[in-house]
Amino acid sequence: MTHFRARGPFQCAPKGRTAWSRSGPLSQFMAVFLAWSLIGVSSLLAQQPKPTAYEVKAAYLYNFGKFVEWPAKVTAGNNEPFTICVLGKDPFGASLDATIAGEAIDGKSVLAKRISKPQEALNCRVLFISSSEDAQLKEILATLEKTSVLTVSDMSQFTRRGGMIQFVDDANRVRFEVNLTIAERAGLTLSSQLLKVAISARRNS
Amino acid sequence: MTITIRENATPIEILLVEDSPGDARLTQEAMRDAKVQNNLHIASDGMEATSFLWRRGKHANAPRPDLILLDLNLPKKGGREVLEEIKLDPSLKSIPIVVLTTSAAEEDVLRSYQLHANCYITKPVDLDQFLKVVKAIDNFWLAIVKLPSDPK
Amino acid sequence: MLRVRGHSITKKLTRMNMLVSGAALLLACLAFVAYDVLAIRQAIVHNLSIQAQIAGSNSVSALLFNDPHDAEKTLSALKAAPNILSAHIYTTGGLPFATYSRERGGKAPTLPAIPAGQTEAHWFKDGQIVLVRSIIFQAKPTGSVYIQSDLREINDRLKRYAGIAAIVLLTSLLAALLVSSIFQRAVAEPITHLAGIAGVVSRDKDYSVRATPTGSRDELATLIETFNEMLAQIQERDGALQKAHHELKQRVQELARRAQELARSNAELEQFAYVASHDLQEPLRMVASYTQLLGQRYKGRLDSDADEFIAYAVDGAHRMQLLIGDLLAYCRVGTTGKELCETSSEAALEQALLNLQGAIQESSGVVTHDPLPTVVADGSQLVQLFQNVVGNAIKYRSAELPRVHVSAKKNGGNEWIFSMRDNGLGIEPKYFGKIFVMFQRLHGREEFSGTGIGLTVCKKIAERHGGRMWVESEPGKGSTFYVALPERG
Repeated sequence: MTHFRARGPFQCAPKGRTAWSRSGPLSQFMAVFLAWSLIGVSSLLAQQPKPTAYEVKAAYLYNFGKFVEWPAKVTAGNNEPFTICVLGKDPFGASLDATIAGEAIDGKSVLAKRISKPQEALNCRVLFISSSEDAQLKEILATLEKTSVLTVSDMSQFTRRGGMIQFVDDANRVRFEVNLTIAERAGLTLSSQLLKVAISARRNS
Repeated sequence: MTITIRENATPIEILLVEDSPGDARLTQEAMRDAKVQNNLHIASDGMEATSFLWRRGKHANAPRPDLILLDLNLPKKGGREVLEEIKLDPSLKSIPIVVLTTSAAEEDVLRSYQLHANCYITKPVDLDQFLKVVKAIDNFWLAIVKLPSDPK
Repeated sequence: MLRVRGHSITKKLTRMNMLVSGAALLLACLAFVAYDVLAIRQAIVHNLSIQAQIAGSNSVSALLFNDPHDAEKTLSALKAAPNILSAHIYTTGGLPFATYSRERGGKAPTLPAIPAGQTEAHWFKDGQIVLVRSIIFQAKPTGSVYIQSDLREINDRLKRYAGIAAIVLLTSLLAALLVSSIFQRAVAEPITHLAGIAGVVSRDKDYSVRATPTGSRDELATLIETFNEMLAQIQERDGALQKAHHELKQRVQELARRAQELARSNAELEQFAYVASHDLQEPLRMVASYTQLLGQRYKGRLDSDADEFIAYAVDGAHRMQLLIGDLLAYCRVGTTGKELCETSSEAALEQALLNLQGAIQESSGVVTHDPLPTVVADGSQLVQLFQNVVGNAIKYRSAELPRVHVSAKKNGGNEWIFSMRDNGLGIEPKYFGKIFVMFQRLHGREEFSGTGIGLTVCKKIAERHGGRMWVESEPGKGSTFYVALPERG
């Protein structure tokens, strides 16, 4: 079994306001404190805390960048950071930021951006389309048609529906499928190294 | 000292054992004028001396000498031998023997006395001395000394 | 004793040859092999490194995307290399990710740590080489590759080399043997020969042998030449030595013979003198006695001529008797001499004076003496000596009353010098020797009596004692007679 070592102290990603925030300050604090201690204890007990699926996926997102070649018109001449965008409901939370913190790809520093509109993804290198945008997928992909953005998602049938890389949960592992045709059409060259670890690298007409 | 002449008329018998006829004659000449009458018999070697003494052969009727003058250097039987023999014979040993010889050697003197010679005289080389010595023998042994008589 | 040991020189040379060539070859082989093995090792390491790199780079995506299966596929490609025993991929955390093992069921060992600052490290142990390389992808460590290989290649090569080296060495040794046998003829044989000759010379003392020269002109030839020259010299000298020795021996023998001859002759003479004088005495006595008797008996009865003639005859006979008697006494010094022992010379002198009492008193002579020492001597002969000398001093007196003084002093060494000084007539220097000769007299019978034997006897006595006698005198001033006697005989 592979273990993915956690990068830092276990952090609870501060997500949006939830039912938590409705309780009183003291009880909130108590609850938080208790949760913390529980988690802390469990983190102590577990030698190597297992990373969550989205932590893995976040790492993959980052790693994809190492195995993909963007066309020259994207890479040439600018010192813009390597942006990984998340469109829709962000499932990663802090893990994505933690994963890319201080990293670089191709000499460019890696940046994570959350966007809400596909138009904002034009300058992204990698775009993760959250499953919340399932209904708007077609429009999103249409918007990105002429671009060289690497589209990644874990919504079902992503690659059949025109996405380039689809995360697949396989037993305890996160794997992925690749739609080569779409990627090549966008001018992206995917390394054979990447393709050989994919579940499948399909070409459709 | 007065010298008395023996009253007894019988002459003294002297046997002279001497191999040199010259010496014998000299002795004879010297004894001729002796105080006491004597008959000098001469034996010219040891054999003859013993024949005479033991009255053998032609000396069967030899008289018993009263005195023997003995030369040591004799041919055939030597003087010392004769001396010894005489002194061993009971009947003859009482006869006084005067050793009269040319040798003056100590060992001859000692030996002779050891063999019971009565006295030892060295013959002087000089004639006069010789004659004196013989005369002295004559005086002493014939005139003064009492000779033993025949034990028989 | 020298034994012929030529073969050992050859052996030594052979051994040396073999040793040198063997050593050289061995060193060369070792050097080559060592270099080769080193190179091979480096090559193996290089090889492994490349393989690790390839495996590593091909496993990057597998590591990043958690696909151990893919990584194992990559590793299994190493099956093609027969020397690789196993290979493992590890995550950055050092945990085994993928495994390949030639034998079934190989377990991934713990990842050995690479020293800081290095990408790769390798270890040789247990006949295997282990290489670990960290996988760096885009400047980031992504994992590690562990490859384990056997060293069969090295071992096979080493075995091959050992075989070759053995063959080469054997060949070289044979060559060395061959060379040695050739060499022996050139060098060892002459040496052996020389040693042999030297042995013969030493053992048999035969200096006529020579070593046969070799044809060459090297140091050996010089040695042989010089050796032969040396032998020639030795032979010559030996010959001369032998001759000299022989001559010497002959001379010694001759001398010994002569000495023996002399001794015999001396003894004979002495004996002759003694016997003669002894045996002459008897008939002489007869002549003397009867002529005397004749003179006495017929004195006046013959004519006066007869008396005179008889007187001369008697006188002659007497004198002859005296001479014979003295000669006999002289002989007796040697023959009847007693053993020498410590004797008081003073006592001897006293005895001599006693014997001369009559003469001393008659002449009113005075004899004095200093304290006289003890000497090693024949007492009676010493008495005779003193008696003769003092007697002479009294006899040959001058008009004065005779005075004699006897003293003794030690000369530097170990001799006592007795001096007997008188105030008699003295002696002319030209007669100093003559007086010691037998029957030589300086005065007629009418003047002084005596046969002239006295001093001769004294001299003989002195010489018998190992000493000597001489005189110093001046006519009219008396004489001093010296007698040297050794202290210890």
